[in-house]
Amino acid sequence: MTRRERNWLLVTPAAAWFVVMLVLPLSVIFVFSFGERGPAGGYVPAFTFEQYANLPARFTAFKNTMILAPLGTIAAMLIAYPLAYQLAVRTDPKWKIILLVLVIVPFWTSILIRSYAWIFILGGSGLPALLEMVGIEGVRLIYTPFAVLIGIVYGYLPLMVFPIYVSLDRLDKRLLEASADLGARPFSTFLQVTLPLSIPGVATGCMLVFILLMGEFLIPALLGGGKVFFVGNALVDLFLQSRNWAFGSAVAFTLIVIMLVTVTVYMRLIARLHSGRQDISIM
Amino acid sequence: MTHIPIDLQYATSEQPDARPPIAALRNVFKVFGDVVAADQLNLSIAPGEFLSFLGPSGCGKTTALRMLAGFEAPTSGEVLIDGQVVNTIEPYGRPVNMVFQSYALFPHMNVADNIGYGLRQRRPRLARAEIARKVGRALEIVRLTGFEKRRVWEMSGGQQQRVALARAIVNEPKLLLLDEPLAALDRKLRKEMQIELQDLQRQIGITFVLVTHDQEEALSLSDRICVMREGRIIQTGDPQNLYDHPKSRYVADFVGTSNFIDGRVEHVADGVATLATPSGLRLQGAANAGLKAGDEACLSVRPEQIHMHRDAAPGSLPGTVHNRIFLGEHTEYLVQQPALGSLNVLAPRQGQPDDLSFQTGEPVHINWNPARALVLSPD
Ligand SMILES: Nc1ncnc2c1ncn2[C@@H]1O[C@H](COP(=O)(O)OP(=O)(O)OP(=O)(O)O)[C@@H](O)[C@H]1O
Ligand SMILES: [Mg+2]
Repeated sequence: MTRRERNWLLVTPAAAWFVVMLVLPLSVIFVFSFGERGPAGGYVPAFTFEQYANLPARFTAFKNTMILAPLGTIAAMLIAYPLAYQLAVRTDPKWKIILLVLVIVPFWTSILIRSYAWIFILGGSGLPALLEMVGIEGVRLIYTPFAVLIGIVYGYLPLMVFPIYVSLDRLDKRLLEASADLGARPFSTFLQVTLPLSIPGVATGCMLVFILLMGEFLIPALLGGGKVFFVGNALVDLFLQSRNWAFGSAVAFTLIVIMLVTVTVYMRLIARLHSGRQDISIM
Repeated sequence: MTHIPIDLQYATSEQPDARPPIAALRNVFKVFGDVVAADQLNLSIAPGEFLSFLGPSGCGKTTALRMLAGFEAPTSGEVLIDGQVVNTIEPYGRPVNMVFQSYALFPHMNVADNIGYGLRQRRPRLARAEIARKVGRALEIVRLTGFEKRRVWEMSGGQQQRVALARAIVNEPKLLLLDEPLAALDRKLRKEMQIELQDLQRQIGITFVLVTHDQEEALSLSDRICVMREGRIIQTGDPQNLYDHPKSRYVADFVGTSNFIDGRVEHVADGVATLATPSGLRLQGAANAGLKAGDEACLSVRPEQIHMHRDAAPGSLPGTVHNRIFLGEHTEYLVQQPALGSLNVLAPRQGQPDDLSFQTGEPVHINWNPARALVLSPD
């Protein structure tokens, strides 16, 4: 076996995985998106742009996703960073593991159950009732975009905390001493050393959370009460209820293209920010 | 042999310098849990001097340095810089810079940005051009001109070391602290950097405080050395003074190499002690202060002070060459002496009669000038 042949053999499993998991389903969706809905639902082969012309019908779902997914990502990042910082930099090593476990504990319960808990908290007899007791009346939280935002930030926070935690934990503490030694006050040190060196973790966390949020449907369905639809909800509806596979494929394919473009632009931006740095690897 | 002239030239070297010290430790203690890392440190550092802390691993060298830098606060006692007590001043408020053992260069900045870091923290702000000029000058001093835009991780170990040095000296600190700055370099590079470090210190005139456990490094670089043991400074002096007049067996052993012969002090007169060995020999040497008749003591003779002869001379001791290592300009012998055990002897080449070296197994006679031997407390 030549070296070349051996190399081919080595990449075969990865290539097979790539074809089966990515190329194949994507091709199916791509082909379906030019088809038509059968009389009893499903898919009838055709070549028409009708499905794409129909996309504006689902504009609200796209709009909600494109606003709430980035917003949720940013909000989760803003909450996760101080949390991860506290854990990685300020916490006594013997407490670190325990506190980290506490961050993942919520994952032990299904998101469905945890979302129901939020329905109660945000619903009439939860927070609004408390607010009424202190004299603030008529606050409606449940079934609003705000409720969905809280739900997604809550649900995806651990996913954001971990990569940031890792990048802060890995940070060489002597760099912080060097910075202080060279005359930087603690906050300057944070801005000039800690923050730039934790960017890889932040970038990874944001990407993970953003990609998953783009496909989210459970939290909007539960906390949005049918009023705050995501693209994910539209897909559930199109594939499972109205069985309009052709239109569903067009919606799905459009979402994938949007995601691809956003992520590519984002990666380019991050790479530019750290041009030439070896210690940076995104995901 | 009644009077042995003892060189007193260094007797005053431990008295404080006439100039006000640039930094000082006053009765400094530092305790970590139940470890005493600094035990009553007292030290004045003169402006412009090159001072080293020398001692084995764990003796508290780094701790002493970190208290000067402000990373550790003394448990008790005072740290002074430029006449001011700085115990409560944070590292960023002290006119002191440190070169870390691992360099601690910022990986997200290029060489010029690393070096300019300290200048950029100044308030009021320095002009950009001023920073660039100073950075350029620092690069010139460490001979890295043209490397401004390089990524630090693209540099070799020696180059990174020089960037770390430049990053510290560019701030013109009152005190430059170096924690084993050369430990990570290979032997050849370390030698080169030692010379550079010494040149640099003379060139810029900043006070250097170096931590090392390499006695050769301390001896060749320093104006003054503090030998440390278990958190204490046990002797301070210039390299030659420490080498010639160690106050204890520990210092004699740590600074250079020596032969030690245990025994009991028979009497002390005129600064000369006579030591009786268990094997019944009487040996003389300059007495350590405080030794008196009856004390346990040991005689220390440096290998280069022992002379080897083919024929017996008055007062010489017979022995056998046990081993011989040719080192070029010197030859190192291991001589077996029936009463004293094995002794290290370092013979310079031209000192050997007819340029004939002794062979392994050959009988020899050894002696030394008693004025060059020391009788020390055995500790
Ligand atoms: N932060 C700390 N916490 C607990 N103990 C410490 C701490 N720093 C130092 N020590 C202890 O203090 C003693 C002196 O340590 P120090 O680092 O000053 O030694 P050193 O002379 O620099 O040794 P080395 O040559 O190995 O670097 C050691 O026993 C060490 O374990
Ligand atoms: Mg140390």
